[in-house]
This record gives sequence, C-alpha cells and structure tokens, in this order.
Amino acid sequence: MSNLTFNPVMQSPLHHFNLKTKQQHVDGSKGVWANEMPLLGYISLRGNAQNALFTKAAKKALGFALPILPCSLISTSWGCIYLLSPDEWLLVCDRELRTELQQKLEAALVGIHSQVIDNSGGFTTVFVQGKNASDVLHHCTVYDLNALTIGKVVGTTFGKTSVFLHQHNNGYKVIFRRSFADYIWRYLERSALPYDFGIANLGSS
Amino acid sequence: MSSRVIHKHSRVDFSKPLSFTFDGKIYQGFAGDTLASALLANGVKTIARSFKYGRPRGIVGAWAEEPNALVQVDVGARTTPDLKATQVELYDGLVAARTSGWPSLAFDLKSLGGRFSRFMPAGFYYKTFKWPNKFWPIYENIIRRAAGYGKSPIEPDTETYDHKHHHVDVLVVGGGANGLLSALLAARSGLKVLLVDDQSELGGYLLSMPNVTIGNLYARDWVAKIITELSNSPNVTLLERTTAFALHDMNMIQAVELVQDHLPHHERKPEQRRERMHRIRAKQVILATGAFERPLVFGNNDLPGIMTVSALTTYFNRYGVSCGKNAIILTSNDLAYQGVADLAEGGMNITLIDTRANINPLWAARFAKLGVTIYPGYGIDQALGSNAVTGAKLVKLDSIKMSASINCDIIASSGGLSPTVHLFCHDGGRPQWKDNVLAFVVSATGRANAGIYCVGAVTGVFGLQESLSATCETITEMLAALNKKVESDDLSFNTDEINCSPAHAIFRIPTTAKAFVDFQNDVAVTDVELAVRENYRSIEHIKRYTALGFGTDQGKLSNVNGFAIAAEMLGKTIPEVGTTTYRPAYTPVSFGALAGAHVGDTFEPRRYTAIQAAHNSRNASYETVGQWMRPWYFPKPVEDIHAAVNRECLAARNNVGILDASTLGKIDIRGKDVREFLNRIYTNAWNQLAPGKCRYGLMLNEAGMVMDDGVTACISDTHFLMTTTTGGAAGVMSWLEKWHQTEWPELEVYMTSVTDHWTTAALVGPKSREVLAKLCSDIDLSKDAFKFMDWRDGTVAGVPARVFRISFSGELAYEINVDASYGHYVWEELLKAGAEFGITPYGTETMHVLRAEKGFIIVGQETDGSVTPFDLDMAWAVSMKKPYSFIGKRSLARSDTARTDRKQLVGLLTDDPNFVLKEGAQLINSDNITPPVPMLGHVTSSYYSAFLGRSIAMGFVIDGIKRRSDEGNNIVYAWADGKAVKVKIASSVFFDAEGARHDV
Repeated sequence: MSNLTFNPVMQSPLHHFNLKTKQQHVDGSKGVWANEMPLLGYISLRGNAQNALFTKAAKKALGFALPILPCSLISTSWGCIYLLSPDEWLLVCDRELRTELQQKLEAALVGIHSQVIDNSGGFTTVFVQGKNASDVLHHCTVYDLNALTIGKVVGTTFGKTSVFLHQHNNGYKVIFRRSFADYIWRYLERSALPYDFGIANLGSS
Repeated sequence: MSSRVIHKHSRVDFSKPLSFTFDGKIYQGFAGDTLASALLANGVKTIARSFKYGRPRGIVGAWAEEPNALVQVDVGARTTPDLKATQVELYDGLVAARTSGWPSLAFDLKSLGGRFSRFMPAGFYYKTFKWPNKFWPIYENIIRRAAGYGKSPIEPDTETYDHKHHHVDVLVVGGGANGLLSALLAARSGLKVLLVDDQSELGGYLLSMPNVTIGNLYARDWVAKIITELSNSPNVTLLERTTAFALHDMNMIQAVELVQDHLPHHERKPEQRRERMHRIRAKQVILATGAFERPLVFGNNDLPGIMTVSALTTYFNRYGVSCGKNAIILTSNDLAYQGVADLAEGGMNITLIDTRANINPLWAARFAKLGVTIYPGYGIDQALGSNAVTGAKLVKLDSIKMSASINCDIIASSGGLSPTVHLFCHDGGRPQWKDNVLAFVVSATGRANAGIYCVGAVTGVFGLQESLSATCETITEMLAALNKKVESDDLSFNTDEINCSPAHAIFRIPTTAKAFVDFQNDVAVTDVELAVRENYRSIEHIKRYTALGFGTDQGKLSNVNGFAIAAEMLGKTIPEVGTTTYRPAYTPVSFGALAGAHVGDTFEPRRYTAIQAAHNSRNASYETVGQWMRPWYFPKPVEDIHAAVNRECLAARNNVGILDASTLGKIDIRGKDVREFLNRIYTNAWNQLAPGKCRYGLMLNEAGMVMDDGVTACISDTHFLMTTTTGGAAGVMSWLEKWHQTEWPELEVYMTSVTDHWTTAALVGPKSREVLAKLCSDIDLSKDAFKFMDWRDGTVAGVPARVFRISFSGELAYEINVDASYGHYVWEELLKAGAEFGITPYGTETMHVLRAEKGFIIVGQETDGSVTPFDLDMAWAVSMKKPYSFIGKRSLARSDTARTDRKQLVGLLTDDPNFVLKEGAQLINSDNITPPVPMLGHVTSSYYSAFLGRSIAMGFVIDGIKRRSDEGNNIVYAWADGKAVKVKIASSVFFDAEGARHDV
C-alpha cells in the first residue's frame, strides 16, 4: 500500500471560467480589467488585541505588528494582514508560504488564547483595475469607494452577498468566499459590460 | 407640415426629419421632438379614450403631468405600456399605439355608456355590482377588462438594466434655472455635486420661455453658459433623462435613467443598459423640482384641443409646433402672460379671457400692440365641439351672465402653478398652503437640519428673477453651514420680466356642463360634490371614493383643483382640507429598472462546491438548499427521478455510493473552555468526548425547540470542529457568536467558519473501506483501529485529509475532508478507485431516502420550530444532568413542552407497499372526513425505499410514541388529494435498528 503515487491538482474557485486562457496584456482599450489571483494562502487568526502577550507573540511570528485600527490593513514582506473585526484577522500570502507562517504563528501562540486556521481552500481574491474600476464596483456595492482610502479594508455588500474590499495598485482587490465565487464573478462581468471588460494578465496585478 | 413654426429658439432640429408610426399610421417628425409634439404637429388631436366614459381625449400637458396621452411604445419584447407621449423622445422608426379606445379611437364602445354618465357617478361600481354577492367574480372579470391601459410585454425582456450607487455632497434634483444655479454655486465651492433632470436637455422651463433674458443673456445662452462651466468641473456629474422618483430617510434618493430608449433601434448598443437605477446617498439634497401649471376647471374641459397654457407655449417655443391658429387663453394669473405674448408674436390669433376684472396695465399695453382681444372678468362656461374643440361659450363671472360663443381651434387655461412637492413629502415632509401664491409650497430651508434645501418654484417663488435671488440666498446658507463661501459675484439675476399682479383664487368656473377635475380617472366636479354629499369628510377618503389623483399621473394636474373644490363644498379652507399623501414613485418605474442586475444567473447567489464541474459532467440535476446548488440526483439516459434514486440507493446499500457533503456548515472552535461552551450550546454532554472521537449533537433555541443538529469532532481538548446543517450554517455561526459575546464572554473560545475551506466527500456503503484503502495508506482503516464515530488525519490520494467515520445512511461510511482546492481532484480519484465496485454518485434525494430508512431526522423537514427533542423521540441526545444549563433546557420543563401527549415523530407504513404518502398530508383518526375532523399531525417525510421494497414515511401524530406500540390503536389515516389512506404507526427506524451495518 505504501507505493501509492498521486499527482494532486489544485483548482481555484474561479477555475471553471478558464480566465488563464482569456487573459490579455492590459492597455487602454478596456474600461475595466480584472482577474483572479488564484490559490493564495489564507490564514484566519483570532485573538485579543488588548492582550499584549498575544499581540507580541503574533508580531514575533509574523515579523509585523497586527493592525488594530478598525478597517485597517498592512502590507508585509510576505503578504497582507487584514483586520476584519476587533478580534479577527485574515492573513494572505503566497500558498507556498502558508504552512510555515501558520506553524510559526501556532508555535508562538502556544498557551495564549487564540485561534489559527488554514482557510486557504475557502477564499479567493480578484483584482479590478482600469479607468472605470470604481464605476463598475459602484454597480456592485453600496460602499462609498471615495471613502475607501489606501490602507483601509471593508467588509461590504456585493450584489446580494458580501466581500472584503480594499484599494490596490490604482485599482481594487476583492476577497470573498469560494462558494460565492461564481456569483460574484458573473455579477462583476455583468456590471462591467457597459465599460468594456478585459481579463487582465496576472502580471499586471 | 403646416403647424410647424420654424424659429430660432426651437430646440427641434428641422434638418433631421424622422418618421414614426402611431396607431398604424406613418407620420413625420424631427429630432428633438417628443411623441406628443410630433403628433400635435401632425394635427393628431385625439390620442386616447377616457377611462370610464370613453370620451375622446387629447394632449393636455407637456411633461410628467400628462394625464391622457398614455401610449404603448415599441413592439414585441421591448414594448412598454402607458408611457406618456409627452415624455417619449422621438426617434426614427418609433412605433407607438393608443392604449385605450375599443374598437378604435374614433369610436369607443365605452362612449355609449358615457352618454349615461349621470347614472355612473363616483362609487358606481361599489354600489351597482354589490348584488348578488356570488356574481362579483363575473362583474370583476368584465370590469377588469374594461379598466386599465396598455399591454405588458409577454416575451422575456431582451434588454439589460443595472443599479449604480452614488455618494455625493450635494444632489440637485431638477435642471431648470434654479437647479442649474444651485449646482453651479455648490460646484464652485468644491463640493461633489450630482444633478439629475428628467428631460432630454437641461434648462427646465427656460426651454419654453427663450425670449426671457437673464443678466442680458437670452435664457438659452444663460443655460448654455452654466452647463459649460458645470461640464468642465471635475466634481460635477450631470445626469439627463434621469427622474428622481423617491426620496427616502437619510437622504437616499432613487432615480431612474433612460439610457437608450431615445435612440433608434440600430443605434442602441447591446452592451449598454436600457435603464439604470441610481441609488444616491447625498449629504445635502437640493430640490429644484419646479411646478406644474394646473388648468382651470370648466364645462367640457376635456375635449381634445384643450391644454394648459404652459403646454401650448412649450409646444410653440421649444418644439416649434403651433397647436392651433385661433386660440382662447383662459387664465386667472399673470404667469401665463409671457407665453401668450410669445404665441401672439408668433402669429397665433389670441383671445385672452382673464377671470380678473383688472388686467396688469403693462401687460394690457403689450397685448394691445399684439392685437390680443381681452375679456377681463370672464370665464369659460363650457367648451364647444364634439370630437375636438371648436369654440367656447363665455360667461361673465360677476353676474354669471352667459355671453356670446367664440370660435377657436385650441383652448389653453392656467389656474396657477402647483409646486412639485412630491419628493419633499416622500419621507414625511408636508407642504404648506400659501395664500398669496395659491399653492401648496415647501420651505426653502425648513428642513436644512435634515440636509434638504428647496429652491425655485417648488418653494412658491414663481418669478424668475426673484427665484434666482432666493436660490442664491438658500445656497449661501447651505454653504455657510458647511463652512464654505458662495461665489456668485459674476452672476446677474436681472431679468426683463414684468412684475406680476395678484392672481385670482379660482379653481373652477360654475357650469351645468360636465367639468372634469381628473382626466385620467374621469373624475368630474359632480363626483367630488357627490362624495361630500355622501359625507366623505377627509380628502384621503374623497380621493379613494372618487379616484381623484389615482393612476399613472398621480393627479399632478388634478390634485390641487380637487382639494380646492372639496374645500369649497365642505365649507373649509384649502389648508384645512390639506393634501393627500405623496408616496414614491413620482413617475412609474419599470420592473426592469427595479430588478437591475438581479436577474438570470445573477438573480440570487448560487453557491457551488469545488466539485461542481464533476457533477455537471455526470449530468446532475440540482436542487437549491439555502443558496447552495446541491446535486439532487444523477439520472442516466432515460431514467426519471424515481429510477435514478432507486438505483443510487441500492448502490449505496449494496456496494458503494458517494455524496458531495461539502455544503454542511463547518465551524472551527478553539479555547480552553470549548467543552463547556458546547455543553451549553448542545443538549448533550461534551466533557468526556476524547480527541479522535465525534458525537452527534442537537441544538435548541431558548424555547426548547430544535434549531440545528450535526456531528462535532474533538480534535484536541481545546479544539473542536462542529458541523451544522447546510441551510443553518450562517445562523448557527451568528448564534454561537451572540451567546459568546453577550452571555458568556468569560468562556475562552474563538470560532471561525471553515465551511468553504473543506470539500467533503461521503463514501457510503459496504465497499467504502475497500475504495478508501486504495487511496489511503497512512490511516489504519481496520474495524477496531478506526471505529464508528472516530476521525483520523492522514492523506487521501496524496492530499492531507481528515477522515470521519460517521454515517448518515446507516452504512459503513467515511467522510473525507480535504482543502477545497483539491476537492475536485480527490473526488475524481475516489470515483476512479471505486469504479471496480460500481461506485455511484448520489444526490440529496437518495441521501434523504437512506437517512429516512434509518429514521434519521432532517432539521427543517422533521422540525419546524415547534419540535422538542422529546417530540422527536430523541431523549437519548439530551443530558438533563449537566451542571450548567444548556440553551432551551428550562423551556423543556414548561407544562406544554413536558406533557407526554404532544405530537410525536413516528414511522408510518401504508398497507399498499407501493403507495407513497404525500408529504404534508394531514393525519386523522378515521376515513370519515365529515367536519370537524380533528387533526393529529402530518406526514413530514415520505419515500419509496427500493432497498426495503416498499414505501416508508415519517410524521407527527398526537401521542404517537405510545400509539406506536399500542396494537389496536396504531392506525391513522393520511388525508391528501381527496383521499384518506390507512396508515400504520410504526418505529421510524425501518431496518437495522441494532446498527449492524455501520458497525463492521
């Protein structure tokens, strides 16, 4: 039985749209460009921001202090940390870094009341950019994108569901749960139609 | 076209002729026309037949106030009923038709009844069709056919719509003189400004009075200058063809933009919307909604060829259409005079009838020069003509003495302006009657605290120069409140208007002829009189009795006249009578705009598991569970649902089946107090569950009723993984957080949803161990090493996996959980590995049958919020001995929940093994259904079990648990589809009660 060999294959939540085959070099021809940043690593972290033991341990493990201002995010050398609620963070990194980051965090937090979970299968991220990016998102969300300053992340509506949203490279990143991915992508595509919609080359994110 | 007047101020482009069809006939118009202006230019006077009496009706207004000219525009999927011809922009190839008049506009059958109109007063329908009661459905059918206008499209809509959200500092509603000025001043102070206007071009009533000058500029040039500045301001957005139709609390305004309907079909772009709904959240709202001129009420005032003076003026000045050669103008005020002068200068023969005995001498002098004949102190007793106006019989008002009749081909009347107060009133604002302007007006700054400012005619300031100055003051005040300064030094508000003399408070001219207040609903003065005579005192009741102000125009022309006439009859003042309630929508809004992008595949979120593509490739039929699309069954060619489910069930019982169970809610819970937390959340005890083990739990609400269930695994002493029902996941997550945050913050636990992270494949059946063994070498799968209700970490098909040996079917089964990124891959590997055993994917229907064979409940099917664990015969899942109360425990001791003869869940077996009971069927004690029939309960689940070779069912029966084993008292009847079927109460575990099949 020990000689089993397998070749596991991963699929991102938007795999079935074949975005890879449709992507184009970004130029001025479209009003809005988007693509999935597939298969990133997502770690959910919960803990008490008032507990110095917790914040110190997290800082040591992550190399960066957790953002504690409401709706804030920080970029790190390995990815991003989003504050989702007063005692809840989402860490996003390359998938290859996820195990190590999670292990470091778990090791540092032994004995400290907290929760560290791999949620990588459960989320994905889409970036939206182009001159009409905010027009398109204003069709999708009630949130005032003018108030979405750099360094701010909000959980808000998207059609009839919800996403996390923040500014990214003159555009936006939209983070959402796997099971809603099909709906959210279709809603985005439908909303973008009047502005001319292109699937952006991933390198342009 | 003879009635076209080509002049420099016209907004119609005479170099661009267009052709269009109305009621099957082809006509010519020009770019810039509305359907109404083009029809008038073509001499089409009768456009409709009236609602009740079938009287011929023509165009009365020029904007949203039009009551008569409701038309059907376009054909097929694009057809739209009941558009006002005054609001339909003409395009080449437009096809429109009447919406009333049968068999034709020229002859309407209803007009025969109309001759007996004195027998059809207000309340006619209520009074006449009362008897006999049982005939009402027949009456209703006939009345409904006679009522209503236009036809809804029957094909699916081929156009798209969307919604857009805006957040602005200032929203200006209305693009007339005062709206434009407001937007300009707000924009200059740097505020983010959005201006919406319902017309095809900005300018409002200035487009209708081009000869007026403002600061030495013609109105048109003044408008153009402001538009240029606004267009060049990056902080300003101008939306034309956009009607703000609702103002809600917190200054949320909804507006609908007609994006493409004004374009010829070939110019419409498929990627663009037909309509767009704008949802605008504005810190400050400036209502510059203007006013509509109301007509005066006189005899036969509904004849085609009778309109408001502002409409007649607008068709002449803006559209270059002369609606007649010989006009009679009836007015009670000076506001109509500028138009009269323009018409006279344009060559129309005008007879001016003013209800006031004294004419403003400045105007009198001007009219004398223009050859206008004036009748001061006169009114119109009645218009003359049968299908169109041919003259008018005058009356001297102070003596009510009839005077000679005058011939004409058009009559226009003005009873003053009625401010468009609708939006102001939508969120509770009320207009105030102002006697000096004879109008219900709104306060300019009275609602400044709420961020609502009003400017222009809506405030009752009707003079242009006066209103521009007042607007400047209002906006200065608004900006001051925002610590901003107004920049208006370069603006002059001087106009060449002649000062107004006071208007005459007159709304109707007494007459013996039929005089209409509300054209769209055929409400005559006599109807209001009758309502008052029958003791309707409140204007809201008078409105509903007479239908005054109903319909697609919502009484924009008729309301104030109706209020004034009611006041006169009630012997009250107009403010004492007040207004009816203004509610959204200001003008009709299409369903398409309301739906926006919430249609088709984005109507509702459809949640998919990572295995979706695999299910599609195996021809799954789906059912929606919560928002999840779950495979329901997997039919092979020619199989129906029954054949497929029978096959799937037998495969799972005899060999191996596989189910996508990813949709179940999964909540990761950690902390030193996790066991205690679960003790309180669940009915059973969690202190002893060892790591590596799972347990089934029931969750109750405070009332002691079952709200969710699922299996929870002990990962470590401080770490548990809870599963919930598919539909209950989000609710349970909130439930846990709520109890933790509000009641038990002292418990150290954190919980996070991991539902989406895991893909779960349930491998079910006697061969499941052999299948799993082919893919998993690092878990000892033997019976004793990996027991029922254990879980193990390992790898499956090379992917890290958590495997649970749990079973919702009663068979040997494994639930394999992997990171959803690998979900599709692992699923396919499992199917490959199972191929030699005939592995069969199955859906929720087979899952339901398998669990019902074992008597397992489904929360939401066996439960409905009124069911305790004891009702479910699940006392084994409740521990009453836990030191700390669990949620719902106390409620289980209530006398009603504790009594032993409640409705209880039992198995149900029919005599005929092939008869499948109807789910929901009532259970009764005998097949005698003579009322009253005591209801004992109902069937909750019912299936055909291929494995057992017979039908099985579960249901609630009063005292069912006792009756189950009481031979002689264990028969009930299931009532459905007009039949009572004999049913035996049995155990709900239909086979393998000892659990031999899963314990192998």
